[in-house]
Parts: sequence; C-alpha cells; structure tokens
Amino acid sequence: MQLPTRVFPMTDPMSEKTHNSTDSTTPTPVIVSNTFVQRALHNTFKRWGARIGLLWIALLTIFAVFAPIIATSYPWLLSQKGIITSPLVQHLSAVDVTLLVAFVNTGVLWVLPGSAQQKMLIFVTVISISFAASYVLIKPPKLAIYEQYRFNQNTKNIDWVITAPIPYSPQDYLRDYGDTGLEKPLAANNRSHWFGTEENGADVLSRMIHASRIALAIGFIATGIAMSIGVVIGGLMGFFSGKTDMIGMRIVEVFEAIPTLFLLLTFVAFFGRSLYLMMVIIGITGWTGYARYIRAEFLRLRQQDFVQAAIALGLPLRSILFRHMLPNGIAPVLVAASFGVASAILAEATLSFLGLGLVGEPSWGQMLNQAVRSSSFNWWMAAFPGGAIFLTVFAYNLIGEALRDAIDPYLNKS
Amino acid sequence: MTNQSQQPAANSTQKSQPLLKISNLKTWFNAQQNNGDDIVKAVDGIDLQINRGETFCLVGESGSGKSISALSIMGLLPKDVTSHPDGEILFYPQDQQNSIDLLTVPEAQMRDIRGSQIAMIFQEPMNSLNPVFNIGEQIIEALLLHHPELSYAAARQKTIKALTDVQIPNPEQRIDNYPHQLSGGQRQRVMIAMAIACEPELLIADEPTTALDVTVQKEVLLLMQELQQRRNMGVLFITHDFGVVAEIGDKLAVMHQGKLVETGSVDSVLFNPQQPYTKKLIAALPHNLKQHKPPQPQLDINDSNHLIQLKNLRVWFPINKGFLKQTVGHIKAVDDVDLEIPRGQILAIVGESGCGKTTLGRSILRLIEPTAGQIIINGTDVSNLDRQEFRPYRKTLQIIFQDPMSSLNPRLNISTTLTEPMAVHNIGESQEHRLQLAVELLEQVQLNPDYLWRYPHQFSGGQRQRIGIARALALNPDFIICDEITSALDVSVQAEILQLLLELRKQRGLTLLFITHNIGVVEYISDETAVMYQGKIVEQGVTDQICGNPQHEYTQKLLSAVPRIAA
Repeated sequence: MQLPTRVFPMTDPMSEKTHNSTDSTTPTPVIVSNTFVQRALHNTFKRWGARIGLLWIALLTIFAVFAPIIATSYPWLLSQKGIITSPLVQHLSAVDVTLLVAFVNTGVLWVLPGSAQQKMLIFVTVISISFAASYVLIKPPKLAIYEQYRFNQNTKNIDWVITAPIPYSPQDYLRDYGDTGLEKPLAANNRSHWFGTEENGADVLSRMIHASRIALAIGFIATGIAMSIGVVIGGLMGFFSGKTDMIGMRIVEVFEAIPTLFLLLTFVAFFGRSLYLMMVIIGITGWTGYARYIRAEFLRLRQQDFVQAAIALGLPLRSILFRHMLPNGIAPVLVAASFGVASAILAEATLSFLGLGLVGEPSWGQMLNQAVRSSSFNWWMAAFPGGAIFLTVFAYNLIGEALRDAIDPYLNKS
Repeated sequence: MTNQSQQPAANSTQKSQPLLKISNLKTWFNAQQNNGDDIVKAVDGIDLQINRGETFCLVGESGSGKSISALSIMGLLPKDVTSHPDGEILFYPQDQQNSIDLLTVPEAQMRDIRGSQIAMIFQEPMNSLNPVFNIGEQIIEALLLHHPELSYAAARQKTIKALTDVQIPNPEQRIDNYPHQLSGGQRQRVMIAMAIACEPELLIADEPTTALDVTVQKEVLLLMQELQQRRNMGVLFITHDFGVVAEIGDKLAVMHQGKLVETGSVDSVLFNPQQPYTKKLIAALPHNLKQHKPPQPQLDINDSNHLIQLKNLRVWFPINKGFLKQTVGHIKAVDDVDLEIPRGQILAIVGESGCGKTTLGRSILRLIEPTAGQIIINGTDVSNLDRQEFRPYRKTLQIIFQDPMSSLNPRLNISTTLTEPMAVHNIGESQEHRLQLAVELLEQVQLNPDYLWRYPHQFSGGQRQRIGIARALALNPDFIICDEITSALDVSVQAEILQLLLELRKQRGLTLLFITHNIGVVEYISDETAVMYQGKIVEQGVTDQICGNPQHEYTQKLLSAVPRIAA
C-alpha cells in the first residue's frame, strides 16, 4: 500500500505571495549543512559503525605517516660528550619527509578557511615542492647500522638518550643481542617486544607499523586509478549511449574476463616485484564495476530535466558531464570504492602471502607467509598481521555500508 | 452482504440516510527525526457527513490533507508515526443497526470492512495494479477474501460482470490480460471494477482521473456516476480540479491546511463562495482569470515575420526487432509537421499524452534530433548544423520544464545555476556583474534576491518553477518553450506563474510556445492554438476561434470532454 509522499512539508502554497519579505518561510526542514557532500558525510558518520571504521583508518594513517618516528632503532635525541644530535632526523628518507609535510599540510588546511579549490591548489603545490626538495636535499646514509647506538649506550659512551616507544626498526634483526628470534610477546624482561619477534629476530609490531603504509597506499592508489578510468569511460558510455555505449560495454566485458590475480602473477614473473606495478594492475583491471555504476546513473540522469536544460543552455560538454551529472551520480561509485579499497588490500596481501610481494619491505601478507613457513606454529606471527588485515578491511566495509545507507534516498527522505 | 445493488436506485428514504459521519477528526504526524517532538497536524479537526447515493467532493491544494483524510477513514496510515488525538469516524453499514467508529474498531474487523464495505481507488493506475498477476486474478483474490462462500467459477463470473460494468470490451478475454496490456484508462477502469466487485457501500476515489487524458477522464467520470446511481453508493471524491467537481459532485468541501474551509452544495460553493480562501481559489481558475487578464500588445496576425518555421519536421523513432536489431518500423512521434510561430506571440500546442507535443518542442531545441525536415530560425535553417555551429542559437532558444523537482540541479545553488550559462555565453564582464544580473532576474520572477545562495530543495514547487523561468531568461532569449510548466502546480500558483509569463512577454517581447493539455490555460494565455493528434497538427488558428468553433473532428471531441464549470 503506498502512502502519499508529500506528507511532511505542510506549507501553505498561498504563502508564496509573501516571497518579497525576507523572512518568508522555507518549505522543507532546513538541514544545517547545505551541500550534498556535507549532508552525506554528516549522515554517514552519524552511524556508529562508520565512526569505528573511521577511527581505525585514522589510527592507521597516523601510524603510516609517523612509522619511522614511532618504530625505529635510531634514538630521537642523544647527547654524546655534550653534543646533542638526532640520529632519527639524519636517517629519515625523502618519502618519510614528504609524507610528514603532507600530513601537517592537510591539518593546517583543514583548519584554515578558504574554498575547496584554493585548498586543493595549495595542497598540490606544497606536496610537489616538498617532494622535489626532499629528493634533492635529503641523502640518508646508505648503510644502516642499527646497533651502533645501542652499543654506545651499553658502553656508557652517551650522556643521555631518548629512544622511540618501539625502539626497533623493521629490518633490525638485533644481531648484537645474539637473539634466535621467535620470541613470544613480552617474554623477555629487559627488552619488551609487544607482539614478539619473527624468525630473524625483528620486532613484529615495528614491521606491522611500517607495513600499514603499503596497505593504505595500495588501497587508495589502486582504487583511485580504477575509479578515474571507470568514471570517465562509464560517463561517456552513459551520456552518449548508442554506439559509444555498445563499444564501451564490450571493453568492459573484455576487462571483466581478465583474472586479476593471474595477471598479477604473470606480471610479477616478467617484470619483477614492484609495488607501483601492483597498484596499476589492480587499478586497470578493477574499473569495470565503477564504469557500470556511472553508466547506469548517467543513462538515468540524461533524461532528467536539469540536464536537458544544461544542454539547452549550450553549456560545454565538460561542464554538463562533470559539473551537472557527475555529482548527482557519484554516490554509488563512492560506496563501491570503499569496498574496492578493501579488496585491493586483500589482493596485495594475497600476493605477498604467495611470496610474490615486495622483498625488502614488510607487508601484512608477507608476515602471514612468514608465519606459515616457519617450522613451528607461532601464533603471534599469524594473529597480529591477520588481525590488522581483518580490521582494516572490516573498517572500510563499515564505512562503505554506512555511506550506502546515508545516500539511500528512501532512508533519508523525511 | 446485502443485496443492495438490486434495490431501486432512486430510493428517496435511503438517499438521505447517513453513510459516513466524521466529527472533529484529527490526524497528526509525529516527525521525530527533527530532534524533538515535532507534530504535523495533517488533518486538524474536520466534520463532514456523506449520505447514501451522494457524491461528496473534497477539494484542496497539495498538502492540504485531503488524501490523509481518506487514508484515515480506511485506517491505512502507518500506526507508528500517526495518531488521532481526537474525533470519530462513524460508519453506518446497511446490515447493522449500530454505527461503527472506524478509528477504534479492531484491526481484524477493519480488514473485513476494507474492500467489502469501503473501497478505495488510487490516483496512479500504473502503480496500483500488480504487474505479475493478470487482472482477473487480482479481482478474484479480493472477491474470495471477502466472500469465502463463493466458488472460484462464481467469483470469475462476478469479476467478468464487474468488468462488463466498467465497460471493458470483451471482458471474457480481457480478464486474463496483464496490466501492461491495457491502456491507462482501461487500468483505471479495472481499478474501479476491483473496488466495486465486492459491492461496497462507500467508495473513496483519491484523484482517480488526474493521470488520465481529458477524453478518457470524461468516460471514467461518466462511468463512476452511472455506477454510483445504479448501486446507490456513497462516493468520497478527492480532487483538485473544480471542473471535475462541477461535473459529478453533489456536495463540496474545500480543505486548506488540515481544516475544512467551506462545505455546501456544489453550486452554492462554486458560484457563491463565502470564505475568502475559497473565493481566492475559485478566482485563480484559468476560466475565471480571463476577466482580469492584463492588456496584451496588439499583434498583427497576418504579419509574415516568423521567428520560427518548421517545414515537414519529422521525429521518427525506429522499432528494432530480432537478433540483428533490424528496423521493422517507426514510431512517428512527430510526423511532417509544418508550423509557423510568429514573433511576439504565444502559440499553444494542445493534445493528449503521447500525441508528440513534447517531442515536437524538444526537437525544435534539438534536444531530440529530428529525423527529417527543416527548422528555420530567423530565416536560417539550423536543422543540419553540428553541435558547435548550433551553440550560438542556444542563446535565443530556451525551455522551461514540467517537473519543478527535476528541472534544477540539486547539487548547485541558484547563483551557480543562473551565472554559469551567462559565463559560457560571455554575458556580463565579471562574476560580480553576472551575480548582479542574476539578482535582477530573481526580481523579475518576483523572488527574493537572498534566494541566490540557496539550494533547490529549499524551495516550494512554485518557487522552483520561477527559478526555472529565471534560468531560461538568463541568456536573454527570444523564444521560450514552456513544456507543461503548470501541470504540476496548484491552481493558485498556476495563476501566478501564468500572470508572470504574460508580464514577462510584455516586458521583453518574448515569443512563447506553450505546450499543455489544459484547455483552460490555453484559453487564458495563448494568442494562437495548434491541436496535435498522433504526431500531426490537425488544426491551427486563433485561440478564440479554435476553442469557440472547432472544425476538426478530434478538436471537437477534445473540447467537449473538458470538464467545465457551467455558468
């Protein structure tokens, strides 16, 4: 049984006569924030699931950005014969510095007033300058000798020292202690390894913190590539329909037939292991879903009167597609994207688990692989990275779910 | 169930018997989502009485609470958000001595009453029938539910009889049809058949003809009138169309903001309204507006200076069938139309739904590409120009749409909506200048300049339609197509919009192509009228002549079907 939809706004149509007075009534209940994006975000993060998800992602982001500061074998500050130095700063890499600049920059721009476009411009400029500068200027020592500071500390060569909360770098195998590795969490009294150590003797927590960078980067960049390709191709298919649509859909079907994992395996076999290659491949095989969503939305929007009006006003195609249609049709793509990030993280973890991930740097999937390969079952090596993967994928799914509910017109109407 | 339908229709003792008596009915909605206990008083204390064999019309503008009143009677409102703090709805069934208060009756008994003693017809014939069952099954199911003693074969016979009653041709075959195989008017007849199959004593019809064409509406109204008299039913007829009221109503109540403003016999309320609201509403009817029409510029009808000329314009949509999508035929939406639109005049195109009038309008703007023919604007043929070459002409040709909900981009505020096209066409030197022009536009359509920074969802339908007009005017066009611009609006708002258009025409010397199905509006606004039927223009001429002395057979049929308030 259907109910009339015009139940709540009980305004008097006759009151339109009063439109010349400034205090004339507004018909619908006015929501505090005006733009669609603000309203959608407001509705999304009203839900506790999305809040928990966001909290975890924020925590992960902070860990990823500050990884070389939180978990490092280099002391933050030390005083040797009255001279104060910071080995940590000396050993920061160009990428670390750029990430830190980006993080601070985002924080500052968030607080400062200004239009979104201006902020975007400032952000991009600052990032590119700092990236170029740090690559030219910052030359960390090629050779990493983690033990030297601990050695100095033990031989009382140092007056005082401030170390990181987790004083182990991910590739610091603690040779100087003669550890055999595979130490249980919090087993030794003198050196606390919160999550234990792996078979080489490196600290699991430190490796996990550093691995969060890969997890976040692969999720965002791979999904970003997939979304950009999908939106452009899907948008053109939906707007022009007819022949363009037919050709586009055939391309979509071809790409959908490619098994991503096997393509990744093949590429790793041919071109070696590279994180960027992985991102690009996950991106260019995963856009078809987004293209389908955008196509369907655009086919619907094209018939809407405001799009017809935009055509009748002679607006350029760019404006019609990206200004009038895209913001009205992007919602399902955003929902799909938050699930896409989760699946990209899983794809990377799968590859690393299969032993085809990165060599030098730790990643969660590779740590799981280590747990499987070692001779005895060491629960801490499986539980913590596995839990991190689970929580991250879960967090993105929670956000995606909340976003889907928030933009659902049927739940959001009244 | 009684054998009431066999009783003589004009039973005078029955006619005055009350059937439904509503006293001080209140229906409130609790809108909890706006933090706090907001209460919307949708129906706020109405009293009315419907007698047997009487058609009681409830008229009001959208949001006045008429449909909510009907749903309250049926007990169909969601219980969790509605409450009835006061009032009673007394129903006097034939076979019982006592009356029943429908507000307090248990749900199980209400289910028995619903459908068998009180039936309802909804507005949308498209949505009201289930597309996966054939119409027979749907009616038989309702019948068997209320008359379990009937056998399936008997129920089927009864259904065929009901379909015969509503004048469906070949009911024996049609009973096995699915809803999509029927036309809109036939579907509404099926809805009526479903409602009357159980021989209800009270029929509630909520805007049953609003979605139908006038010629179909006429047939449905005649049918309802006849059935009502034959069966001595009470009918509660909800509508916003005073013409329909004049045609079928016995009594009339005007509703406004949840209250009944005026109640009385149809003639007394229509021709001698007492309350100021009713007076204003009746004065806003296009039929009555005519007396106050502002003086319009005198035009030379024989002027050969045509702004737009259409020659053999065709818009054919191919019908593709089979594996290789071969074109097997065409839907001739616009078929060899020749039309001349003189400068500075308002030309109305009238016709029923599906006659091609909207397609014609959009093909002039090349929103739909014409298949063949010429569109000549100011002496230049523009039908073969490509996208880029046509862009300068977009400035001179504009369009206003029917649906105020979808005609504005919900994500852009009004200032962007108005200034973006100006920037594209190099109107105004700077953004500040363009904003100044936008403010002037809003003033011209009689809106507050502060509205510039609002978003479309913050406006009412009438205000949105004004913004649509402002957007069309933003490029300073010579020619505007108004595509059913008032059909989604209430009659008082419609009157304001029409007056505004006439005013703007005078100020700016606009030429308008006014597409509508509302003959009243045509008579009020247009200088010339063209009647369209099945893709062709069957008659064209000066409006007064067409409406007063139609020549073509179809025009005569169309005009005679228009419900009018006879003076």
